[in-house]
Amino acid sequence: MMEEKMYAYKCTACGELHHPKHYVCKKCGNREFNEVPLGGEVTLVTYTKVYNLPEGYMKPYMGFGIVKFTNGLVVTGQLEVENPEIGMKLISTVGIVKEGIGKDHFGFIFKTI
Amino acid sequence: MREVGIVGVGHSKFGKMSGGTFSDLLSMAAVQALDDAGVKTGMGHGIDQVFVATMGAGILNKQSGIASALVDYLNLRPAMAETIENGPASGASAIKLGYMAIASGMCDCVLVVGGEMMRVVSGWEGTDFVATMLHPEAEYNYGLTLPAFAGLFTKLCMEKYGITEKDLSIVAVKNHENAVHNPVAHIHVVPNLYCITEDEDAHIMNPYVAEPLRMYHCCPVSDGSAAVLLCAMDKADRFKKKPIKIAGVGSATDTHAVAEREVPTDLLAVRLAAQMAYKMAGLTAQDIDVAELHDAFQILEIVESEEVGFFKRGEGHIAARNGETKIGGIMPINTSGGLKAKGHPLGATGVSQVVEIVKQLRGEATGRQVEGAKAGLCVNFGGFGNNVVATILTKEEA
Amino acid sequence: MIVDKMEQSLRPVESPMVPYPAKYITMATGEKLVIRQIAREEVPHILEAVKPLMTVEADFYDIVASRIYSELLGYYRYRVKDEYCLIGTIDGIIVGIVNGRMVDEKVGMSYHTMTLKQGLRIGAQLFAAKMEYHLDFLNQEEVLIVAESPNGFKRWMIEYELESRPETWHELGGVPTYVLTKALWEKHKGTKLGGRRPVKEELLKTADHPILPETYVQIPGYKR
Repeated sequence: MMEEKMYAYKCTACGELHHPKHYVCKKCGNREFNEVPLGGEVTLVTYTKVYNLPEGYMKPYMGFGIVKFTNGLVVTGQLEVENPEIGMKLISTVGIVKEGIGKDHFGFIFKTI
Repeated sequence: MREVGIVGVGHSKFGKMSGGTFSDLLSMAAVQALDDAGVKTGMGHGIDQVFVATMGAGILNKQSGIASALVDYLNLRPAMAETIENGPASGASAIKLGYMAIASGMCDCVLVVGGEMMRVVSGWEGTDFVATMLHPEAEYNYGLTLPAFAGLFTKLCMEKYGITEKDLSIVAVKNHENAVHNPVAHIHVVPNLYCITEDEDAHIMNPYVAEPLRMYHCCPVSDGSAAVLLCAMDKADRFKKKPIKIAGVGSATDTHAVAEREVPTDLLAVRLAAQMAYKMAGLTAQDIDVAELHDAFQILEIVESEEVGFFKRGEGHIAARNGETKIGGIMPINTSGGLKAKGHPLGATGVSQVVEIVKQLRGEATGRQVEGAKAGLCVNFGGFGNNVVATILTKEEA
Repeated sequence: MIVDKMEQSLRPVESPMVPYPAKYITMATGEKLVIRQIAREEVPHILEAVKPLMTVEADFYDIVASRIYSELLGYYRYRVKDEYCLIGTIDGIIVGIVNGRMVDEKVGMSYHTMTLKQGLRIGAQLFAAKMEYHLDFLNQEEVLIVAESPNGFKRWMIEYELESRPETWHELGGVPTYVLTKALWEKHKGTKLGGRRPVKEELLKTADHPILPETYVQIPGYKR
């Protein structure tokens, strides 16, 4: 089974990292990017536990968090952490975050190290 | 640029619409605005342009091009017509475009109607529909929702500024108390502060929606419509009432993905939109007597009150605790009941906020009047703060 | 009615059931919701509160009200074994009704939950009270539950993480059965079950003669 990966988008002109993708570099306006793997240790910026989930999620609640990677990128993802605390170190993993019709969606799931 | 004023207002009772089509819903508010202005719905109505603000007509109610439908339904042909969509800020955006149409000289008289019929779908279909505003790959595909982001944001603000769950409840109760005096509000029932915060069963009767946000910190799902009739100030003599001037309009955008915001506890687009509106109106925060600030989640009222300059950053919740944002306080906010108690039919909200300020400035806000109000500010928040429109209205001296 | 040998033979043998001890819950508005069990003789009066909703299609009120009507009638006429009914009142006015029965010592069968006054989570509290009756007072091990409406499904199947048990038939006819086990109840009751006991005499008195609602928000224009 192919292991799914997540990527950051690095501007070919000035090297600015982006996630999610942008068409135009946030820093220099260039329009070409290289994919670089995005993963590893993160710091938890904020978190929540949501009880009213949208269509298709048949669970009573789900955890979410915003984290900062060591390269400075800040992203949102699902959180599978028992007792989250702002500032704690977590590990970024990739998993199915939404079951789709014909194709599942992969994304960040942050877990305790 | 020509000066633009509001000469008529209309507002349906927000809540659950029982029967009728989307066009019926919009028409209710539209004809109220025309009646308020003294405009007959027949020959000689003089309306050049109609803007309809809605986020869901096409998606939830399968009615695309609703502005075109409405123009015929109300017999306003061949007036120009467009449907305006800017998420929950559709209403204020539609008014901004109406303002631009008149200020530019292209139109003399514009009808703006905002509406939403959300209660035709189940709660989680509604939540899902609202979540379509989020970034598709980075947010929507994770099952994130607007309440989820409000929860994430609230947690951070609590950490940084010491805002408590009780502060959010204080704001909610204030808004519900205000709504008792607003006949068109969705909810006229007032929660008891002790019962939703400290009572032994408070954690069950006021459960978490997205920690640390609770049920009574979030606005309801509502159907409803609101309308305003705009006119060039120099052509406003034919109407029943003196126009209320649109003195300033501003809007700004921020990053789509919430995680990419520069400062995670800031609402930058709110600050920029308000600054732009103040500049155009030649006013400052101190000149504002009454405000309608978008409070889909009560944390937003607090932070917006700081970003528009009413209170210092980190002190909005203290002002609320001290009663400063009540109707009799130094800076009354959401005299209508806000989105919390008045309701939040997405496309109607921005127009509804302006209707409330017009009533306040005209002295027609019976039971919730801010004495001598001369200038009012509305902030209509799109997405989770990535597109915000601010509108300043003033009462002209005789 | 004459209870002769024939009538006696048509009646189920009732198991001893401890009565549900009344409780009160403070609503978000400060109003007090009193939840108590009704006596068999009260059924005809309660049916009058149910009747108007039997023809309201919206939100599945017609099927829920019609089924509650027949279930309560079955209880009243001694044709259903070990059935109970709890009502909720605020200021003496009936705001909600729940019912169910014991299948045997260990297993309960949840029938219906109907809220007359909306917006205050009354339905959620009455459902929790029912579960409390089965699992904490009747000391049963599990309760069989089905949902007729999407709202019901969300509130019970998803929020309580009910165990799916499609191989067991529920009396309400073929829709998939879910089960609230003792373990699931213990996990969720902390965040779901409200209420204080005992109810002060004054407050309990208000529920003595339940008042039929004058109007129903579900039926615009209706007046009793």
